[in-house]
Amino acid sequence: MKFAIALYSAAHSPSSRRALRFAEAALASGHEIVRLFFYQDGVHNASSNVVTPQDEQDLTQQWAAFVSHHQLDGVVCIAAALRRGVLNEDEAARYQRPAVNLKAPWELSGLGQLHDAIQSADRLICFGGP
Amino acid sequence: MSTLHVLSHSPFSDTRLGSCLRILGTDDALLLCGDAVYALQPHSSILKTLEAKSDTLKLFVLEEDLLARNLECLPWATCVDYPRFVELSIHYDKVNSWL
Amino acid sequence: MPKSLLIISRQAPWSGPNAKEALDIVLAGGAYDLPIGLMFMDDGVFQLAPKQNATALQQKNLMANLQALSLFGVDDVYACHHSLAERGISPTSLAVDDVQALSADEVRILIDRFDQVITL
Repeated sequence: MKFAIALYSAAHSPSSRRALRFAEAALASGHEIVRLFFYQDGVHNASSNVVTPQDEQDLTQQWAAFVSHHQLDGVVCIAAALRRGVLNEDEAARYQRPAVNLKAPWELSGLGQLHDAIQSADRLICFGGP
Repeated sequence: MSTLHVLSHSPFSDTRLGSCLRILGTDDALLLCGDAVYALQPHSSILKTLEAKSDTLKLFVLEEDLLARNLECLPWATCVDYPRFVELSIHYDKVNSWL
Repeated sequence: MPKSLLIISRQAPWSGPNAKEALDIVLAGGAYDLPIGLMFMDDGVFQLAPKQNATALQQKNLMANLQALSLFGVDDVYACHHSLAERGISPTSLAVDDVQALSADEVRILIDRFDQVITL
């Protein structure tokens, strides 16, 4: 079974952890994840500037490790990311901003990537809210 | 076609559960996770609403969220972990998460 | 056959970017010629209320995007009748043309008809 997983809430939201646990369970059961797509506040999950207190779960780090380890396609919506200050090197240069906080394994791209994932997956599963 | 509706907002401060129950079909199911599991709070008005639908409502609850809140599953509902959540998302034709 | 997608928009228009970002998914899908439906529910029906004034809040007018839906090939636009009635909005005075008001049963049938659904 092919899953497209979309996340709409930031890393400090319980739904970010829930999405990651679901994604892990899907792969562990032998399913495929065609793409992770981060939209709205979900773009914050890809920020490399999130600092989590040491005694708490670091979801941004866990997400990046998960995507790298399984070589998944991790796409962050560019319009939602720019609005929320999540920029890769190209965008930071384009808009003359002092910080870059989006790096590999994450990629910035458009909403077409969400539609493309929906078309190639058997199921779209969205996580967001609290 | 069947739909698994997923809720994560507390039903005591939000309209999602009410709207969802209004449009839930006989082949559909409801999965409560996060603060939505407060719907199982004993003696609450929301629990009474759910109990009144216990004959027809297919209700699933994410176990970790029940445990965290010291709530118990209902005899007619089903407690699920993540592997079972994945299975449910396949069993139903689509998943509608109320974000 | 491309998979069809229904967006259920539940957010009021003046509560941040959520309503616009839900609509952006719809417009992007329309631009790719995908079968897309849009339904307004709960506070989302406030997006359809007549005579709203974006300039009062120095905002961009969402209405321009809503009225562009048919230009993007999105003709399946619906509103939940219960949500409209609850908020005292008449289905005949909506700011967008050709919005079909649906009963709860019709909403369920609509969701059944689409392959995937996103509720924002």
